[in-house]
Amino acid sequence: MIKLQSAHIEEIRGIRKLDLDFQEKTFVIYGPNGSGKSGVIDAVEFGLTGEIERLTGRGTKGLSVSEHGPHVDATDPDAAFIKLRVFLPGLGKSATITRRIKSPKKPEIVPADDDVKAAFAEIAEHPEIALSRREIIRFVLVEPTKRSEEVQSLLKLEEIGQTRNALNTAQNRLQTECRNAASHVTSCRETLQRHIETQTLAAKELLEAVNRRRTALDLPPIAELNEDTALDAGLPESAKTVGFNKESALRDLNAFSEAVKGFPDLANREAAAVVADLAQVETDTRLLVALQQRPLIEKGLNLVDGPECPLCDTPWEDEQHLREYLQAKLAKSEEALKLEQSLLTNGTAIADEVARVVGLLLPVKKLAEGQADGDFAQVLTVWASDLEALKTKLATVEGLMALKARLTGDWLDTPKALSDNLKGLGEKVNAKPDQTAALHAQTFLTTAQFRLGDYRGAMRKEQAAKAAWISAKETYDIYCSVCEEKLNTLYGEVQEDFSRFYRELNENDEGQFTAKLTPSEGKLDFEVDFYERGLFPPGAYHSEGHQDGMGVCLYLALMKRLWGLQFTFALLDDVVMSVDAGHRHQFCKLLKVHFPETQFVITTHDRLWAEQIKSAGLVTSKTSVAFHSWTIGTGPLVESGQDIWDEIETGLLKGKVPAAAAALRRHLEYVSHQLADQLGATPRFRADGDYELGELLPSVLARMKKLCGMAADAAQSWGMDAKKKTAVDRKALLSASAGALNVEQWTVNKAVHYNEWANFAAEDFRPVVVAFKDLLGVFVCETCQSWLYVSPKRVNPESLRCGCNSISFNLNPKPNQGGPLEPALLNVSS
Amino acid sequence: MGTLQQQILETFLAKLAEATVVDAAKIDQLRGLLTEKKKLNADELVRIFSLPPGGDRK
Repeated sequence: MIKLQSAHIEEIRGIRKLDLDFQEKTFVIYGPNGSGKSGVIDAVEFGLTGEIERLTGRGTKGLSVSEHGPHVDATDPDAAFIKLRVFLPGLGKSATITRRIKSPKKPEIVPADDDVKAAFAEIAEHPEIALSRREIIRFVLVEPTKRSEEVQSLLKLEEIGQTRNALNTAQNRLQTECRNAASHVTSCRETLQRHIETQTLAAKELLEAVNRRRTALDLPPIAELNEDTALDAGLPESAKTVGFNKESALRDLNAFSEAVKGFPDLANREAAAVVADLAQVETDTRLLVALQQRPLIEKGLNLVDGPECPLCDTPWEDEQHLREYLQAKLAKSEEALKLEQSLLTNGTAIADEVARVVGLLLPVKKLAEGQADGDFAQVLTVWASDLEALKTKLATVEGLMALKARLTGDWLDTPKALSDNLKGLGEKVNAKPDQTAALHAQTFLTTAQFRLGDYRGAMRKEQAAKAAWISAKETYDIYCSVCEEKLNTLYGEVQEDFSRFYRELNENDEGQFTAKLTPSEGKLDFEVDFYERGLFPPGAYHSEGHQDGMGVCLYLALMKRLWGLQFTFALLDDVVMSVDAGHRHQFCKLLKVHFPETQFVITTHDRLWAEQIKSAGLVTSKTSVAFHSWTIGTGPLVESGQDIWDEIETGLLKGKVPAAAAALRRHLEYVSHQLADQLGATPRFRADGDYELGELLPSVLARMKKLCGMAADAAQSWGMDAKKKTAVDRKALLSASAGALNVEQWTVNKAVHYNEWANFAAEDFRPVVVAFKDLLGVFVCETCQSWLYVSPKRVNPESLRCGCNSISFNLNPKPNQGGPLEPALLNVSS
Repeated sequence: MGTLQQQILETFLAKLAEATVVDAAKIDQLRGLLTEKKKLNADELVRIFSLPPGGDRK
């Protein structure tokens, strides 16, 4: 895995341009809702995986990374990119990866070493490094089958499921082949037995029958039957063609005639079952669609080889997204799957009977041909061909659906006058003179040899088919048992970790907590202890906050087992909000104690939470950043502290004016927004709230001047001379600072409005920095370093103060001097 | 320690070899197929299981 060192983001999601220094340490991004925190998570996730879960996951139809990944105002798709610098602990190397929205599958990696590329390729396969709050629910409250899918997806178990499915399909197919081969063996054996008139095919019985004919022909008896034995050995080559054997022919005719009598009842139960299943399909169109789609989707899944759907050519974001979509469609048709299995089982049983009929039919067809009964032979040829086609149709759902009408009646479609034709052929054969003993013996042997050859061939094929099926079945069984064993072990470990994490998180109220994960085929049941009253589904009694806490703990337990010591990085997007106020300290402790080597990038919209993470020692001011707001034009506005001046000076000393200028600009943007809000400044109203620095700063200055005036007037009305002086001094300082800066002078003006400071030399720019520092100093408490604010904020303000109360100006004049009505709030002109 | 998938694959192939119902040549082909980074195809599996003992069908 990785540790993130820094990120440079441009034009991705809500971000225009942003640099963050993660320092390989756990990092907190705080900001109110809509301030751009998740944009950072999206961008980093994109940088590492080429995906943005928010745009490609469930419920994101119509969204795509290529279309919705770039900033909404980005005109050049190539401009949307992220460059990440990471440390690869496994390799002991640092590397950068630059990924552009335009070509997400072709990141630029430096150094382009094979091991570095392989490390990035591996992490790209693991989108679960990013966990958002909405995803937590996936692990806790969903139904067991869904949970199993979610956990399998997190643990990358789809691959295991796919392997198991493919092995199962292979063994099913080989089993069908084996059954067909066995049917053919039965048919060949019956044909041979009928000819040699034995009850069994024991070698002794067969050789007795054969040797009797051989003796009649003065041929030596065969002592032993092996795989090379030729029953007609010794006959002249000219006599070895299969000839007509009257007695055998009559037996074939008789066997077929007897079978024909049973045709009306043949496999009726199975045929009725197929018809009933098909009727169910007809009444439930949803089932019909699922059934019809299944083979198509299965085929499509097999053919997927890129981001284009092989079924309809629709382009997808990427191959993985397409595969997941098709798999989800397949999973939805479980009911259809059961119906499919029922249909195929009955279809196979009917096909076995068809094979038997064909086995009886073929010798008769040959006989008809030999007896110059061309019409009947032709009828039987057509029928045999029809039955072979029927057999094929019976092996598929599509085929069975087409057979519904046929299966409701004489599904064999027995030729008309079959019995009469058989009778006629029988009479023709019977009318033939009896064969001489020698001719009978000779045709007996040649026919026996021919049928033995067929039987041997069928047996060899059956043997091979059986061996293949047994191999496949054994392989499937072993794979399933290994998977089950490994997964049970894994779930056991996850269960233990999860319970421990949750206990530690809730040590004050649920110190005895236990949980149980029970995997079964396709399901993952999850039950949790509720105050030692027993095990219940997580949604039964626990509060939503506790359920969310469970989601986080289960995620951490799964990641720990999935990655082990390699779990060095995770993006937790507003996930910690799930942990209620009483358990935050324990949560921080949990991360510190159990995941000391893991770098978490945590976002939260709760300032207090962000401060708690800091006070718990999980992050420092160097490894945290606050976004105070966001505008479409600027992206996230980064909150900066007093140490910003050191950062700017360091930049200037290094001659990095553009960096220093960008820092000053960001700071001014942040402070202007902050002060405009805190002091109640009145810039020209904009419905989109997208205020420029040039609009905000002058109105903030004017507002502060007004407030200082109000404070001085109020102090005077109360006879508080010292207070009045302080207010007047601050107003004077403001005027002096603003005058020195002269916001209207061209250099400042250009910079404020067009951000052209980057082209300055360090010595030209330093005075600008000093002037702004002095100016902003008027708005800061010298004691607590907090920004001044008015209180109350939304109605007529009564005081101007700081966070520690060192500065506290009363804005209300003495009542007889007039009410505290503030003209500035009623009239924009000051 | 490899990934769960790798652990399953190695244990599975070892147990398959112990079971002796599938010969070594087929196990080798299965290993190749299962370690490929593409979706497993049932047709390929049928082909491997249908091979005569010891190797490719002539």
